[in-house]
Amino acid sequence: MSNSRTSPLLSVSGLRKSFGGIHALDGVSFDLVAGEVHALVGENGAGKSTLIKVLSGVHMFDDGALKIDGAVYQPASPHAAKLAGIQVVHQEFNLLNDLSVAENISIEALPRTRFGLLDRREMNRRARTALDAIGLSDVDVTAPVRSLGIAHRQLVEIARALQSDSRILILDEPTATLTERETDRLFEIVTSIKIKGVTVVFVSHHLDEVFGICDRVTVFRNGKTIITENIKDVAPPDVVRYMVGRTLEERSDSGAGFEDDVAIALSVRGLVTTANTTAQGIDFDLRKGEILGIAGLVGAGRTEVLRAIFGADPKIAGHITKDAAELKISTPRDAIAAGIGFVTEDRKEEGLILDMPIAANTSLVDIASISRRGLLDFSSERKMATQGGTRLRLKYGKLSDAVSSLSGGNQQKVVLAKWLACQPDVLLLDEPTRGVDVGAKAEIYSILRDLAAQGVSMIVVSSELPELITLTNRVLVMAGHQIQGMLNRADYSQERILQLAYGQEKSSERKSA
Amino acid sequence: MSTAENLPAASGRRPLSIRSIINNAGIGLALLLMIIFFSVASEHFLSANNITNILTQITINLVLAVGMTFVILIGGIDLSVGSVMAFAAVVAGKAITLPGMGATELIILAILAGLMAGMICGFINGAVSAYWSLPSFIITLGMLNIARGAGLQISGAQTIYSFPFAFEEFGSKLIFGVPVVFLVALSLVVVAWFILNRTVFGRLIYGIGNNEEAVRLAGHPVFWYKVAAFSICGLTAGIAAIIYMARLNISSPIAGIGFELNAIAAVIIGGTSLSGGRGSVIGTLLGAFIIGVLANGLILIGLSDFVRQMITGVVIVVAVILDHYRAKYSAT
Repeated sequence: MSNSRTSPLLSVSGLRKSFGGIHALDGVSFDLVAGEVHALVGENGAGKSTLIKVLSGVHMFDDGALKIDGAVYQPASPHAAKLAGIQVVHQEFNLLNDLSVAENISIEALPRTRFGLLDRREMNRRARTALDAIGLSDVDVTAPVRSLGIAHRQLVEIARALQSDSRILILDEPTATLTERETDRLFEIVTSIKIKGVTVVFVSHHLDEVFGICDRVTVFRNGKTIITENIKDVAPPDVVRYMVGRTLEERSDSGAGFEDDVAIALSVRGLVTTANTTAQGIDFDLRKGEILGIAGLVGAGRTEVLRAIFGADPKIAGHITKDAAELKISTPRDAIAAGIGFVTEDRKEEGLILDMPIAANTSLVDIASISRRGLLDFSSERKMATQGGTRLRLKYGKLSDAVSSLSGGNQQKVVLAKWLACQPDVLLLDEPTRGVDVGAKAEIYSILRDLAAQGVSMIVVSSELPELITLTNRVLVMAGHQIQGMLNRADYSQERILQLAYGQEKSSERKSA
Repeated sequence: MSTAENLPAASGRRPLSIRSIINNAGIGLALLLMIIFFSVASEHFLSANNITNILTQITINLVLAVGMTFVILIGGIDLSVGSVMAFAAVVAGKAITLPGMGATELIILAILAGLMAGMICGFINGAVSAYWSLPSFIITLGMLNIARGAGLQISGAQTIYSFPFAFEEFGSKLIFGVPVVFLVALSLVVVAWFILNRTVFGRLIYGIGNNEEAVRLAGHPVFWYKVAAFSICGLTAGIAAIIYMARLNISSPIAGIGFELNAIAAVIIGGTSLSGGRGSVIGTLLGAFIIGVLANGLILIGLSDFVRQMITGVVIVVAVILDHYRAKYSAT
């Protein structure tokens, strides 16, 4: 099957694509052989999603070449990609929930009667054929999609993708929301469509699945393809090593190991978040002046832990103790009163009031200190904003400029300034340098280190391993809403962290969705 | 610097504050052109009598629109203000016609009862829609019917009249040709401007309209701010009810039908964004004037009330289209 001598169905060579200054694809090359199941693996942001978008005609590429059967392939639109026989089943479904299964399957080309009316009988017949083809005889084609479970919805998408003459079916993290049984069924279907000659591209974070059903695997790192291997010839740890890269990032000396006997600032016991009520509770301690990292894949439950601690979401169970006193936190207000700050993942949606001035954003949390009896004191607000700006080396025109006029890095500094204004002693940071350029990143790191030196304890959630390795004193690795392991600074390596995150060290029971 | 710093709060931001001045100036300019046009087209338009007329006519709409501005700024809408006004008027009318009390006591009692009735309706609107995160459009549509029904029930569908003389006098009194009731409305605009631009409450009203989640995560009780915005809107409906009674010397359970739409129109024409977070009460003042001047001027130049209605409709649509472009160009 994995005979790479046969001429490739799809060949990708030297593909490049930039967004602004960011190279999302920076030299991607691999071949698809007809009838194989080909896995694409890599860390978040390694370029898999961008590649899929290029292949399916969502984005144009900047440089490189795509060929199908030796002929140049340059899809200008998703429609063109479909005509060329490439179908994608996305992570987020593109189904119309209130329409029937049959309507969804035929939505791209609804059959008409002679009078131009919808030919319901033909539509249902086609849907029946499409569903039977993937062994979904138990689904009623007239049922609304809303009435189906997640797994069935996904299978309906696959049926829709397959009913037209597709040659390449791209499955983007298809198992992320499936239970084990549903995953097994999906794999049976993948095997059966492979026998029919359809080539499947399988994107997944679960290496056991990749090794279960794929013929070949291509590893992505930093927008480049690193290697394509026959599954028979590699083992999971090799793949992890390829994803990480052989050279480890340089470590910074500043945040060396952490003494065990330092007092505990925040302690979390038996925390269960609303995102996964069946998980076992989460336990960990944060020491005074420590920067604790939380690593894990997207969906591992890291953000949920921060939000639950902060009271942004309700928690199902768990005790939070700060400085040896039990806290009762049910709203962000309680957390702030207890001296906890929360720099959210998405500064545009949750962190900033974009249309408002820098000064007004800076004073948003500690607005009580710049007002008297409910009246705003603009001069003390300006003072607060000036101080925050100076401390964080904020680059701005005027304090009265809208915060939306700032660069990403400076916007993030405003978010930090907002929280620092109320002098928290525990700071929760979710992806603190997302969308921030390299220079501002280094500045933010040094600000956080300064804070730690002043005794502020921090929890940093990040998807960038180098960031966690440079910044933190300890790293806690999560997968499936559970703690998979805790690494001390001495034991840091990207490989160790990733292996925990991918559940390679512990036999992680799959969560049922 | 200090004047520049004082302005931004009006629109919640500075680089756009120049633009927002232009925006307000644009509305002001439109109003000015309208006034010039009507004063040329009709010799009566600028007469003292007619000006008094216009001011009297826009008073109630202006009062309702000031409260509506708070609700629209947080991204809500209140469809019930017309009915709530009638309900408050009935409650106040019942109070003011109670037997066995002196005129002053009756007037004070009636005013308090009317304001209370309005504010309670607003409180319910806010609490229900904020607690269950329901669209205020639907909740206030419910209140529109509830308040109207309650007003009719309490009054037995009868108009209430024969109020104390002092109360009637307040409704018709002029100071240098300016109706006292208009001065009340104008002072409400000033108070609202102060609240929106100078207080923590006002700052967070703009904040909630822009990014509710950011305000919540900053530890502010968003629920209570929303309830307060709706309560203010209900309170202004109560104030409008008192003014209405004083002017007409009656209290009718079928008053104020459709008034909510004029109030919303004034706010929107005044440049406040229907999606919240952007706008000003000064704009609302100008918006109320535009509607009032149009209504008065078009009839003076001999057009029918139906044509007036059509033109007002066109103005509303144009104002929203302009707002679309403002939002587009102010986004960075």
